[in-house]
Amino acid sequence: MRPLLEVEDLRVRFDQLIAVDGVSLHLDRGETLGLVGESGSGKSTLGNAILGLVPVAEGRIRFQGEEITHAPPKRRRALGGHLQIVFQDPYGSLNPSRTIGYTISSPLRVRHRLDKREATERVTAALARVGLAADAMHRYPAEFSGGQRQRIAIARALVLEPELVICDEPTSALDLSVQAQILNLLLDLQEQLGLSYLFISHDIDVVRHVSHRVAVLRRGRVVEQGATRQVTEQPEHEYTQTLLAAVPVPDPHEQAARRGRRHELLPS
Amino acid sequence: MRPLRAFRRPLSVAAVAYLGIVLVAVIFAPLLAPYDATDGDLDHVLSGPSALHPLGTDNLGRDVLSRLMYGGRVSLSGVAEAVLTVLVLGVLSGLLAGFLGGWVDRVIMWLVDVVLAVPVIVTLLVVLAVVGSNETAAMIALGVLGSPLLTRVVRGSTLAVRQELFITAARVSGLPNRSIALQHILPRIAGPIIVQASIFAGAALLTETSLGYLGLGTQPPTPTWGGMVADASTVIDQQPWLLVPAGVVIGLSILSFGLIGDALRDAGARQAPPRRRKVVAVASSEAKPEPGALLSVHDLTVTLPRSEVDTVVVEGLDLRIEPGEVVGLVGESGCGKSITGRALLGLLPEGGQVTRGAIHFEGRNLAGRRRSELRGLRGSGIALISQEPLSCLDPVCTVGRQVDELVRRHEGGNRKQVRARTIELLGDVNLPDPERTVRRYPHELSGGMAQRVLIAMALAGRPKLLIADEPTTALDVTVQAEILELLRKLRAETGMAVLLISHDWGVVADLCQRAYVMYAGHVVESASVDELFDGPLHPYTAGLLGCAPRRARPGRRLPAIPGTVPDPRTWPAGCHFAPRCPMATEACAAAAIPLFEPATGHETRCIHHTQVKGGENAAVA
Repeated sequence: MRPLLEVEDLRVRFDQLIAVDGVSLHLDRGETLGLVGESGSGKSTLGNAILGLVPVAEGRIRFQGEEITHAPPKRRRALGGHLQIVFQDPYGSLNPSRTIGYTISSPLRVRHRLDKREATERVTAALARVGLAADAMHRYPAEFSGGQRQRIAIARALVLEPELVICDEPTSALDLSVQAQILNLLLDLQEQLGLSYLFISHDIDVVRHVSHRVAVLRRGRVVEQGATRQVTEQPEHEYTQTLLAAVPVPDPHEQAARRGRRHELLPS
Repeated sequence: MRPLRAFRRPLSVAAVAYLGIVLVAVIFAPLLAPYDATDGDLDHVLSGPSALHPLGTDNLGRDVLSRLMYGGRVSLSGVAEAVLTVLVLGVLSGLLAGFLGGWVDRVIMWLVDVVLAVPVIVTLLVVLAVVGSNETAAMIALGVLGSPLLTRVVRGSTLAVRQELFITAARVSGLPNRSIALQHILPRIAGPIIVQASIFAGAALLTETSLGYLGLGTQPPTPTWGGMVADASTVIDQQPWLLVPAGVVIGLSILSFGLIGDALRDAGARQAPPRRRKVVAVASSEAKPEPGALLSVHDLTVTLPRSEVDTVVVEGLDLRIEPGEVVGLVGESGCGKSITGRALLGLLPEGGQVTRGAIHFEGRNLAGRRRSELRGLRGSGIALISQEPLSCLDPVCTVGRQVDELVRRHEGGNRKQVRARTIELLGDVNLPDPERTVRRYPHELSGGMAQRVLIAMALAGRPKLLIADEPTTALDVTVQAEILELLRKLRAETGMAVLLISHDWGVVADLCQRAYVMYAGHVVESASVDELFDGPLHPYTAGLLGCAPRRARPGRRLPAIPGTVPDPRTWPAGCHFAPRCPMATEACAAAAIPLFEPATGHETRCIHHTQVKGGENAAVA
């Protein structure tokens, strides 16, 4: 079976800067591919390129076998029903002057031309899926906490019943206990709906937890990609090794031992 | 703000060019003017423009162009006197009001309101009646009457700027108010000052020419622009042209001042000043310092204003740091960890106050001391580094100047000695090529380099305690590892203690010997990190450890804590964690929970601590 998403030798340029430099990856149905890298590695740009938010200089993006690299605006809008995104900033990503119900239902009413009753049903179902009561619909973003807003953002992505959700640092702005809730929600939704995730994060522990496979990005290039266990336990590339060694482990004994090993790796 | 950007518009360029030409003509009038201002040519009385007299002559045959050039000297120097008065009075009073606040602010703003209520023209007429036709006196009076507007603008901008982190950073490092105001605040608010001054200049010119027109101020035969308009109006039926040169010059000058002001304002629009609150003195307590401890905090309670009500955000906090010890303060946002760190330095946000408790540092109680008393301690006793390194540096000063300032403050010495120590400090924090780094501006630094500079600044006073508030949260992991390594090295070399405020279990495990866990304003557990990670005795600690993905099986649900940290206004009675706690019973919500000490040096605020399980899912790969 063909992968859900195939990216071949993708290049994205901003003037002189090459943000994504020859990236190839693929993603199957129901699978999570973790994209991990530091700031400036091009991981968010890659997600934006797949969504058509930034122009692609070279390479190919195929979704369900269809080439969408330079899809015309009309096709792009239709793809919105299949490809969705959850952003990092739960504060900036919701319009503060619109009710939650309005925000979530507007694509249903405008694109799918559902009447008010049908749209409300779909919105209620989406909110229920993310663990929010239906009355949230009539409230404004300011009335919700960061974690709740991220749930709302996920509901907005889900209401269109997409196959692929690009999660761009979805838990980076959240506290640890709320992050755990959102990660659990994403795992549950994947199991229930068979979603695929392209999970972009700088946090290797989070990526390791949710991903089946991992791609490590550095300066726009994939330096290593493979099964999560393989990449995080026996990294082959030197950069992956450095990155993994740099992450402090929440266990003082283990961390002391790792520190010793890291000193051998980095004689500075 | 970038003033240069203001002058890309053709209209602003024209305004600047026009004023430039007028200024040159006026200043060099004795050299450039074709005739003397008072020489009459009786053969050509009231002539229109001609080759001999480009702008014509007046009723005494005097050359209009020459009179305009000489007349501008009076008018423009009057404007300069008024603007200078406004600048001196307005900037000084605005800075004082905005920066010092309190009664100084109230008195100045009261004066401002009084002066604003005074009618300008009437007052000027009175002044001129009293001192005679003294133009300078009138213009200085105009400046005094005009200064309240600038006072308000400067005060507002100062209030906004003094909220910025680099001002806090400057305070933390122990700089006196005068240097903060002159070196950090004034350059940041220069934009609005220039804008206000240029708008006022237009108004001042209008007033000056009005006075001249009324025959007040400088007297004939000395030409003034206003006087020329007055002369022209008397012969308007014989030679209407005479009104044109003076009228156009005055009109265009006023317009140009206004245009320049507008252009500058548009280029650097600033936000409104934030609401101000009174700073309240802190309360003290009788508690004795703990012997041997570098820092011992007892029963610290802090309130912050929330929606106009003082709300307790840290309650009954006890904390102890030994010399040279690295202690963690862990918790989620809204638990009060950063506020605790600020309270130790006497740097609470506006309106915040310590209402109870004692903070003993080296045996001295810091609670209840005034800010001025704490200043000597900041930087040299206790230093602070925070989460956003780049916003803690003043963007208009080089790295070297900012470090120099602190070295000079703490150690003194001549310029060469100071710079040598600065370079040494930058070398200590492993910045590559310190000699070049001193000449760089903050925008040329990466986040990791900026944090190193801030650590160097913190080290300038050789502090005994460094409060590190989420020092690596904004950095990439590889940079984080380097900064943690640096802190470890510096602790070993200098023997300073560190209070590390963090939400990241990994960072705490890496650096700390002991840690305090905070939840909703309380310390809920404290222990050595080994005991804390292996056998937590509070369900929040256990729950938060369980939330770390690294400690769970990949792909499995994390043992998340339901709900969120409550707002300080809605803290429950009894245990603050009870509503989210899987082990909560009725007893938990009944009354405040005291600290238990089930093992030496391991405290917990939980009545069910014997049943807490959390060590067993420590399944680190």
